[in-house]
Amino acid sequence: MDFSELSHQTEIRDSLDKILSKHCSQELLKRYDSNFKHDENLLFLLSSNGYLGLGLNEKYGGSGEDLYDLGILFERLGYHAAPLSLSGCLVDVAQTIQKFSNQESCNKILTSIIAGEIYTSAILEPSNQDPENPETTAKIEDDQLIITGTKYLSEITSIAKSILISASSNKGVLLILVDTDQVKLTELSSTANSPLFKVELDSVKVNKESIIHEQGRGLEALRYLIQLNMVMRSYIALGVTEKMTSLIAGYTSEREQFGRVIGTFQAVSHRAADCFIELECLRLVNQQASINLNTNLDCENDALISKIWAGDACHKISYSAQHLHGGMGVDKDYVLWRYCLLAKECELINGSASQNIDRLGVNITTNQ
Amino acid sequence: MLIQLNQKQLKLQNELQEYFEGLITPALISELNQPEHFEGGGPEFKNAMRTMGSDGWIGLSWKKEFGGKELSPIEQYIFVETVMRTGFPFPFLTTESVGPMIAEHGSAWAKEEIATKILKGELIFGIGYSEPNSGTDLASLQTKAIRQTDGFLINGQKMWTSLANFSDYIWLATRTDFEAKNHKGISMFIVPTDDPGFSMSAINTLGDVRTNATFYDNIHVPETHLVGELNQGWSLITSQLNLERLALVNHGPVEELYKDVLKISQSTKINNDQYLSDLSWVKHNFAKVHSGIEALKLICWKQTWIMESGQLNMAEASVAKVYGSEFFIEAYRLLMEVMGELSILKNNSELTILNARLERMYRTASILTFGGGTNEVQRDIIAMAGLLMPRTR
Repeated sequence: MDFSELSHQTEIRDSLDKILSKHCSQELLKRYDSNFKHDENLLFLLSSNGYLGLGLNEKYGGSGEDLYDLGILFERLGYHAAPLSLSGCLVDVAQTIQKFSNQESCNKILTSIIAGEIYTSAILEPSNQDPENPETTAKIEDDQLIITGTKYLSEITSIAKSILISASSNKGVLLILVDTDQVKLTELSSTANSPLFKVELDSVKVNKESIIHEQGRGLEALRYLIQLNMVMRSYIALGVTEKMTSLIAGYTSEREQFGRVIGTFQAVSHRAADCFIELECLRLVNQQASINLNTNLDCENDALISKIWAGDACHKISYSAQHLHGGMGVDKDYVLWRYCLLAKECELINGSASQNIDRLGVNITTNQ
Repeated sequence: MLIQLNQKQLKLQNELQEYFEGLITPALISELNQPEHFEGGGPEFKNAMRTMGSDGWIGLSWKKEFGGKELSPIEQYIFVETVMRTGFPFPFLTTESVGPMIAEHGSAWAKEEIATKILKGELIFGIGYSEPNSGTDLASLQTKAIRQTDGFLINGQKMWTSLANFSDYIWLATRTDFEAKNHKGISMFIVPTDDPGFSMSAINTLGDVRTNATFYDNIHVPETHLVGELNQGWSLITSQLNLERLALVNHGPVEELYKDVLKISQSTKINNDQYLSDLSWVKHNFAKVHSGIEALKLICWKQTWIMESGQLNMAEASVAKVYGSEFFIEAYRLLMEVMGELSILKNNSELTILNARLERMYRTASILTFGGGTNEVQRDIIAMAGLLMPRTR
């Protein structure tokens, strides 16, 4: 049993905080409130300092295949509300390719991701609650695939080189890399102003080589992708809720009413304490899930549990933070509001708490 | 970061499981099913304690120089977990809290006469802390011990002295300095329950667990019955508090119950082709309990690691206490919902399930949110130590 971070992990956290706090000030973040939320300079800095190689093997220029390290990156991105949406690129594409693709693809794609090239994924579909069964289809004709379907909530797709698509075929589920210029993109406007897209594929033809995994491993790869995405999204949630909790502590320790600091009222401090408890639970289930996924490609229950906690923590801490801040919580000149929007996004994308409770319940009652 | 039990710890877990399977005989089970023996104290219970003593399974947290095994906090946690899963009412407070304090800080007589017998499983202690007017604010306690030429004269009243009805001694907190600040004037004594000045009246509780009000009327004890320095008792009371709180919220019993209810639901038919566990709301209840247990397990494991690495983290210990005690109440409710009306049948009834454990556990769960340091105080500690907020008032 050892809950301590290795020294290199603490270093990652500290130096990320240095970079991110400089580039995510209120003034700088304001620029992205109504514009395309993607900070190219920041991405370049993360790349040149090696942070895009977290969780990737040294032979591609990464810093080692530890998913806990990658979790630190997403936690800190969340904590600083960074204008970067990287889970499609660094989690869905990079990690799935690392685990399921041949050496050649890994060499090519992972090295270019580490160098700052953008890839993304398009997995979720409107009105399909079960991402393991894509409604998007891939017809296999000789050496070609013909892909048709509609995806959404794909991140920063307009600047991505290629998109990893999940599709159903007569050979089972496939994960296919499709060039961005082959699809129709529509930018969606969403609650946290994240750069999310609808992706339409209308009989898009690609070579069979574009399938990223060995024959017959598509579902396994997709399940891994979905689970790891849940866990990394829960790390973003951890950063977001950690920041909101520290804002609560700071604000209620200074704000005075009735001649005293409001943090000295138990009704206030106890609500803050409940946020701390929720946060601690989320941190621990995330840690367990990321560590287990290091050695086991299928940890569905661990991933579900971490996303369940993330969904609940995002909801509860966000509303506690707003409430305890009074009017400040909704004032766009203060910091909190951005986190509340991010919290709702983390809560709902790739499985809400209730949806995941349903799934976990099925697993528990049928697998034993 | 490594979040799992190692080989040695898993081996200990297996060893303990096997040991308790052998120890808990049908005769012991039937004795423990009688309300007056829920907390132990019967002849079978006493036999089992002596057997455990002679097999070396008492005094696990004690230092080796006092005859203990000096297990690490995680190993102690595994022990508590395994015992609690069996349902055996092991007297942890006597063996793991009072015992090691007497072994370390007691007089020569106490070490020889008391500590040794605790290790052998021959003595049980009741804990005399709370009083009618001193609960959460324990340091305001008023039971007096007045120094005399040949010892101390004790007078006062204690509340919630559990196990006193079959204890040999009371581990008694008294006031010995009336001038000093509250917590600086407290001393600890070993008080025999066969003294004519000792009496009690039963308090019967919601959970059918008996506890007692105990009375101390001119009880004279010799100097040898004082444990630790005079007026230094408060540190003895608080030194083991974190381990005690952790034992209160051990994830073993609730996980055991969850597994048992799950198993029953999978074999309970609700119509010709459906089982109880096929219902979606039943699945949801199980999922909520399961994800709650995972968090509890991790919180407790982390707490043992914090203790093991000698760190002091008050906020995390309080997180464990608050989260665990409130989760139990929620979990029992969710599991009772699964079994529905069947879960209100008592253990002497027909048609009862799981030996009516659900029916009993929900009635005993409420004491944990205030017992062992009330959750309001724990939340105060979390806000102060975890979030660096100002002290509440």
